Amino acid sequence: MIGESVPMLDSVARVMGTVDYMINLRLPKMLFGKIVRSQAPHAKSLKVDVTNAMRIPGVVAILTGEDLGANAFYGVAIKDQGVVAVDRVRYVGEPIAAIAAESLDAAEQAAVLIDIEYHELPAVFDAQDAIQAGAPNLHEKFPNNIFKHAKLRHGDMDAAFAEADEIFEDTFTSPVAQQASLEPHVSAAQWDGEHLTIWTASQAPFMVRKSLSEIFGIAPEAVRVIVPSLGGGYGGKGHIRIEPLVAAMARKTNGRPVKFVLSRAEEFVTVTKHAASITLKTGVKRDGTFTARQATLYWNGGAYADASPMLVPAGMVRAVGPYRIPAVHVDSYGVYTNLPPAGAYRGAMSSQTTWAYESQMDIIARKMGWDPFEFRMKNLFVSGEHFATGEELHDVHFVECLEVSAKGLGVPSPLTPLPKGEGQGMRVGRGYGVMMKSTVATSKSQARLKLKDDGTVTLYTSTVEMGQGGHTTMAQITAETLGVPLRAIKIIGPDTAITPFDSTTSASRSTSMMGNAVIAACGTMKKKLFELGSPLLETPVDGLRTENGFVVADEISISFGDILKRNDLNTVEESGEYSTSFGIDPETGQGVATPHWHQGAGAAEVEVDTETGRITILKYSAAAFAGRVVNPRMAQLQNDGNVIFGLGPTLMEEIVYDGGQPINPNLADYSIPSIRDIPAELISICIESGEGEMHGIGEMTLPPVAPAIANAIEDAVGVRIKDLPITAEKILRALREKSQR
Amino acid sequence: MNPIKFLEPTNFTEAISLLDQHADDAKIIAGGVSVTLMLQQKLIAPSALISLGHISNYAFIRHEKDGLHIGALTKLRDIERSDVVKKFCPALAYTFSVVANVRVRNQATIGGNLSAADYAADPPAMLTALDARVQVQGAEKNREIHLSEFFLGFYTTALEPNEILTEVIIPTLPSSASAAYHKYTSISAEGRPCVAVGAVADFDNDRKCSDLRIAVGAAVETPQRVRDAETLAHGSTLTDELVAAIADEYSLRLDPLTDVRGSAWYRKEMIRVFVKRALEEVRCDR
Amino acid sequence: MILNVNGSRHEVEAGTRTLLEVLRDDLGLVGAKEGCGIGMCGACTVLVDGKPISGCLTLAEQVPGKEILTIESLEKNGQLHPVQQAFIDERAFQCAYCTPGFILSAVALLNENPNPSEDDIREYLSGNLCRCGSYQNILKAVVEAGKRLR
Repeated sequence: MIGESVPMLDSVARVMGTVDYMINLRLPKMLFGKIVRSQAPHAKSLKVDVTNAMRIPGVVAILTGEDLGANAFYGVAIKDQGVVAVDRVRYVGEPIAAIAAESLDAAEQAAVLIDIEYHELPAVFDAQDAIQAGAPNLHEKFPNNIFKHAKLRHGDMDAAFAEADEIFEDTFTSPVAQQASLEPHVSAAQWDGEHLTIWTASQAPFMVRKSLSEIFGIAPEAVRVIVPSLGGGYGGKGHIRIEPLVAAMARKTNGRPVKFVLSRAEEFVTVTKHAASITLKTGVKRDGTFTARQATLYWNGGAYADASPMLVPAGMVRAVGPYRIPAVHVDSYGVYTNLPPAGAYRGAMSSQTTWAYESQMDIIARKMGWDPFEFRMKNLFVSGEHFATGEELHDVHFVECLEVSAKGLGVPSPLTPLPKGEGQGMRVGRGYGVMMKSTVATSKSQARLKLKDDGTVTLYTSTVEMGQGGHTTMAQITAETLGVPLRAIKIIGPDTAITPFDSTTSASRSTSMMGNAVIAACGTMKKKLFELGSPLLETPVDGLRTENGFVVADEISISFGDILKRNDLNTVEESGEYSTSFGIDPETGQGVATPHWHQGAGAAEVEVDTETGRITILKYSAAAFAGRVVNPRMAQLQNDGNVIFGLGPTLMEEIVYDGGQPINPNLADYSIPSIRDIPAELISICIESGEGEMHGIGEMTLPPVAPAIANAIEDAVGVRIKDLPITAEKILRALREKSQR
Repeated sequence: MNPIKFLEPTNFTEAISLLDQHADDAKIIAGGVSVTLMLQQKLIAPSALISLGHISNYAFIRHEKDGLHIGALTKLRDIERSDVVKKFCPALAYTFSVVANVRVRNQATIGGNLSAADYAADPPAMLTALDARVQVQGAEKNREIHLSEFFLGFYTTALEPNEILTEVIIPTLPSSASAAYHKYTSISAEGRPCVAVGAVADFDNDRKCSDLRIAVGAAVETPQRVRDAETLAHGSTLTDELVAAIADEYSLRLDPLTDVRGSAWYRKEMIRVFVKRALEEVRCDR
Repeated sequence: MILNVNGSRHEVEAGTRTLLEVLRDDLGLVGAKEGCGIGMCGACTVLVDGKPISGCLTLAEQVPGKEILTIESLEKNGQLHPVQQAFIDERAFQCAYCTPGFILSAVALLNENPNPSEDDIREYLSGNLCRCGSYQNILKAVVEAGKRLR
């Protein structure tokens, strides 16, 4: 079963349009919610008058800051965000009030009648502006607007830089972008006394549960979080999003459920990708080895810390790169600004950092006369070496990833010269990118199996199915490990009332973490079946195995169902757990950053139209290290998807603001890749290893896309773009500047 | 809030009298693309929608003596696929084939497309270069408006509040003429144009250019021609030098706008490139 | 007002609601979904007289008397439409939010042009967006469905 390309379990529902997305949820007596948002980027003395709005027929209740208790502030580590704004607003789009009404029409009519007064304050939108003396301050507890400073200290920098023959210093930037799942954020909540049920399109049901229990002062068990299939997540539905507001609204509706569906424009002010400015100072010797790297990272966290206190240190670790560098210092700053809160965006933080270190690799190689491919091969980590955190690297396959992706371009060798472009002013170039990404250092997954006397197996898991095929993967792992046919397996979850704990479906951790929890549960289930079956088969436990729903001895076998029946059992339930507990020292960044490293590479061949700056990606070849692949075709599909998704932030995606107001919050002015934007040739390969550790593959081939393309552009036309996205206009400007030099 | 009335006149005269009755408060809806969008985004709140969906006989494409006549209610997709249009002017069929996506083209009408006067659209530049004019019906009289005088600004046309565009007429091109349309998308291939260039050139027996019309759209508020640049071509062979000179003149003389698809600087550069490419195409044709 | 949807007549009070809203809210046909609300993404694609349109940009009032087909009409007697089956066989979806729109667009394309080139397919489907990035397999699925339908 593992290693077989079975279709997704609910494939038929997926092509028939009958998947139970949140947007389809209808509950008895359900009300419709609408959020009223700030038009100002920064203001104080907020006053909200709902008198006129309450008069609209059909309006049941209106939520404002006055309804909130002292605990109504939340955040993954810093509880700075109000369920709705209280006294102060800090970004355009911040919820100020919410309405629950019998119809969406009524809610929308009431929304425009809510009177809002505030006193506008100066605002700041750029992270580096926000840390200057005298910049507007967002939260008094953090007078310089820096809410997180993560540090990595490894080696003697002065000595290491002194050893370098050349020192390179470059700054690379990424703008604010949006995850833009086609399904928006949708949640519905209902209270029954002090019990809350919330249905939500979330990647992290247990984080939602914890957060809501804290906000409302109730036990975690009093909060039930139910998550159906998601219409895409990409990090945008990670952590906590609209759930606190939806639950607080429902608290005012006398037990009636209320459902909120965000509009596309609202999506753009709900969660974003961190804008980043990354400066790398790198020392290199003439022999092509590194001596030192100083990385300084400014992450624009937006108006609230949200998940950034976790993501900013992750970004720090992800900023070093997959190369042997004896001395490394990193300073990673999370900064408040008057923009919407930023969160994870597929390839979280690695997209920004890989953009920086892989772009600089080519800058260095070209300046020092190395072929960029060879320069990488010379310096890539191999297993047994030590990373800047001090940890020993195991199961490391960067060299293989780069070689395989280079080979995918279909040229005899990476050093084979390219033909010039076809047509006037067309130039062709080739470029590479490699990435090294940590997953969550400390996290836990639990799985529970229920075997029934009819031989069916139900897997209770809180892994969220968001298109990655997580449920199918878990079913395959169950089938293989327990020895049952796939069709006997049913998956339930996530529903925090009945499915066991899981930290989150993100960071490409599920196949590895939940997969191992499922394996553990299968192990205990097998043990139980052997114990129950041994007397029936008159064979000692160690002479038994499972196969196709049977416990098998040498010449005799019995079905799982019959084992239960013969023991007068209707069901047997067994659980499994898998957890990792690593971490790094907050002052030095030394320790173990991740249970294993995500590894990926990409190779691009692009054509640049030197008259317009427009590029065409002729070929793209990607490779990810997957350890052991559970479902090859789905893994490849996800790998392809990474590359295609990655073309967005590389070439087109940027939220443009005017005074904190997004001017392109729609899919006409904020473009995402279409079928006509994908490379003419795209291949992606999963690399497996004999060691058999399953890795996630949800992001690995994404972060290399941007630098591989930028490097190919420099190869083609000799200009270096350091600011994403790489638009035709930027390339043309750079070409003009170059020709004027 | 009163519900919006949905009125379905069966001819333009009736539609116009309904417009008159509702003064400024009614909205014409043809294919529905732009009106539905504005309704959904609450940009308009009319008391009535006057649908042209029940007016028959205005979805037509006819090649008559004086040119190609296209009824206002003809879907963009039908123009794109029409053999009559392809034969009349392949570049015109091509222009309609690159508008938005197939769904929009199935729905949107040529009358609605032009009346919406969206600057980031494809047909206006090509039709302006083709010297098209529109038939307009009003309460008192009908009139004809040259497309060059039809677009007044962003989302603004020369139509009076009680007038409706009923037909588009494109003069027949001499058999010695050729036309080209270049749409440049700067971000996603699926995006709206950054620059749109429609070009029509006629040539005499010596392959000298006898007439040239180039209209630039999408980069400017309304489709623009630069007559001085066009006349540079008259009586001359379209050499590389001349093509470059005309392209330079367009770039120099137009004052493009800035939006997410490109800055004014970039658009000036792209006007030069795509005027050049359009001219190379019409020249090459001969 | 009477709408002819998937071969059945439905009486609805539409007001100025979109076809998409009426299909979803009144008729319970939830395969079409709003993705962008401006006709860019195609998640709300439905066929009107055989042609794909955006349900979010069409008022229900515009389509009485026309034949409306939604994704729910394709499966017949437990038998998937060849395009649906090809989408499964070629693994042409991930989150599948966009899938009904892609499938209906592909059905319309193959009706119009039973033997499309890859460029024809890219062109026709370019107004359907898939954020998961399943485009390569979608192309393969439409090519495969074309073969099966010919």
